[in-house]
Amino acid sequence: MILNDFFIFMKQELMLLFIIFLLLLIKVGKDRSNESLLYLINLLLLINVIAGFILPGEGSLFSDMFRTNPLIALEKNMLNIGTLIISMQSYSWLKSHKHLLEFYILMISTLLGMFYMISSGNLLMFYLGLELSSIPLAALVNFDLEKKASSEAAMKFILSSAFSSGLLLFGVSLIYGTTGSLAYAEITSHLSTDPLQIFAFVLFLAGFAFKISAVPFHFWTADVYEGAPVAITSYLSVISKGAVLFVFVSVLYTVFKPLADVWYGMLFVLSISTIIIGNLFAIRQDNFKRFLAFSSIAQVGFILVGISGSSSMGTAAVIYFVLIYIFSNLGAFGVVSIVSSLTGKERISDYKSFYKTNPFLSWILTIALFSLAGVPPAAGFFGKFFLLIAGAEKGNYLLISIAALNMIVSFYYYLRIVKSVFMEPNESPIESLTIPLISKVALYICLLGIVILGLWSVVYDYIFTLSPIF
Amino acid sequence: MNGIPLTHILFVSTALFFIGMYGFFTRRNMITILMSVELILNSVNINFVAFNTYLYPQNLDGIFFTIFIVTIAASEAAVAIAIIINLYRSLHSVDVDETGELKF
Amino acid sequence: MGASSLIVLAIAGIVFSAGGMMIAKIFVKGTKNPQKGQAYESGIKSTGTTWSQFNVGYYLFALVFLVFDVELVFLYPWAVVVKSVGITALIEIIIFIFILFMGFLYAHKKGALKWI
Repeated sequence: MILNDFFIFMKQELMLLFIIFLLLLIKVGKDRSNESLLYLINLLLLINVIAGFILPGEGSLFSDMFRTNPLIALEKNMLNIGTLIISMQSYSWLKSHKHLLEFYILMISTLLGMFYMISSGNLLMFYLGLELSSIPLAALVNFDLEKKASSEAAMKFILSSAFSSGLLLFGVSLIYGTTGSLAYAEITSHLSTDPLQIFAFVLFLAGFAFKISAVPFHFWTADVYEGAPVAITSYLSVISKGAVLFVFVSVLYTVFKPLADVWYGMLFVLSISTIIIGNLFAIRQDNFKRFLAFSSIAQVGFILVGISGSSSMGTAAVIYFVLIYIFSNLGAFGVVSIVSSLTGKERISDYKSFYKTNPFLSWILTIALFSLAGVPPAAGFFGKFFLLIAGAEKGNYLLISIAALNMIVSFYYYLRIVKSVFMEPNESPIESLTIPLISKVALYICLLGIVILGLWSVVYDYIFTLSPIF
Repeated sequence: MNGIPLTHILFVSTALFFIGMYGFFTRRNMITILMSVELILNSVNINFVAFNTYLYPQNLDGIFFTIFIVTIAASEAAVAIAIIINLYRSLHSVDVDETGELKF
Repeated sequence: MGASSLIVLAIAGIVFSAGGMMIAKIFVKGTKNPQKGQAYESGIKSTGTTWSQFNVGYYLFALVFLVFDVELVFLYPWAVVVKSVGITALIEIIIFIFILFMGFLYAHKKGALKWI
């Protein structure tokens, strides 16, 4: 009976574990060609995505350390889909890479860590998941082994992530000292606005802010995004950030509910500074990855606005937005990834008159950027709209107006790229590229996601019915 | 256990935490920065063990957390040192000021 | 654990760390002589500079050793409870050792255990 529960509740984690061990066994065995391996791995990831949707159970294991419910299963499925898309997009980069299997082993390990983090019901489990999702990522950032920028980015990433988890841990230890427990349910019942607990919470929040790169703690983001290989940059900015955001939402609304007044003020400051700084720095970037790094910082600011609204509306809006963000950001990153792996060009100025040579890629890029900016027919608009509505629930109109104004600023720099892609002349544009079929499919999935999520309200309703009301 | 009050132990751990933080921001050698992070993690360990033995001796949550922190710190150090070695190959230095590839 | 104790903790932390460095700076008289900078090698006069480079192979071995060594700490709490938990504990530790063994196989395959 218990064993049966174990297999149902941990289904998604067990799938990933199975894939990791299979790949390790293949690695230890004799060498195979990259191409056949890539097809095998993508097939496995596809099966993993499909299996994730079957039978989402609800319950907890290991004396409440691990819990799951349909909402958590949905979040994990979103991350699964994102990983599959990234894997398909980076096909042309990985085809000739000599450490292909390590790449996937490390990436799926981080995904496993995120899954454990999302379903954690205990601070110990949460910490283990967090570290499992950040240490292998540092190795992944270093994956262009001979490039200096890549190792430099990895060094910055591992040091800042170690430091941030140090801060977070000090907060956790003080929480343990004042409440006497590590389980979420018991912590909540012992929390009050005791100064030591608030101090602990501030440290905890600082650790989180590092991971989602909210503004006072964003310094590592742009450097790491620029230095890392494109596949990892998109993984960092979408999957890893999304996972931490899911945990952030559920932890704030459930565990730290007694401190709601305290964290509301902090989120207010964090979100405003994050949006403004992200936007201002995004305007002046010329490297495409760096540009997307700052744009993703600004997006996190909008998500923080949504979180500050509290209640089920906030949860649903954040999850819905992250889902849209996965598709739109991966659309943009997919184009950058293909162009970068085939030509090595990563600057925005290289994309001038990109439309003349690669109409398909430029349309994808344009729609993805429209969605990121929040231009109405694309899904991104509805995502941001729901976030702002959720934020407006508390009646803090200063926050909402600043966020809305910044949305307009963000139109400028997103549309600037669209303009240069379609209109600006260029003597040596990027030559016409032949895209591998598998990457093309991935781009079509992103396109479909952006269009369908914006027009079909069932998705949001579904997420809303799953979100708990606190 | 009798004799040394809990606050004294917290003095040590807090001091260790801030020494680590100071080192993290002022040191220029990557290995030393890594050591500073380890100091922070160890101050957390002291906190956990002290809280567990003084305040909540009925179960062992804190001590188990410490064991996990120790192992994870080791793997973190392993990955970090591997990255630093890799960086050393192209940089021939472990000084963070030499890393100027990525800048605004 | 009131607000006052928090402030005291913070001040003590700062004073303790800053004070130590200050005292060291004030009281240590910088007497310099060439013998002080030399490495002590069993009374034999050392040759060359002390800041010589080590072979990178040492680090690789140390890394592999470090990871496997530290993971063994989990065996101690396991050994304490194995009798009372019974067969489940045995299965769990087999899984644990299996994961470590996979890591070992990988290290072996990559040639990390060979001296260059």
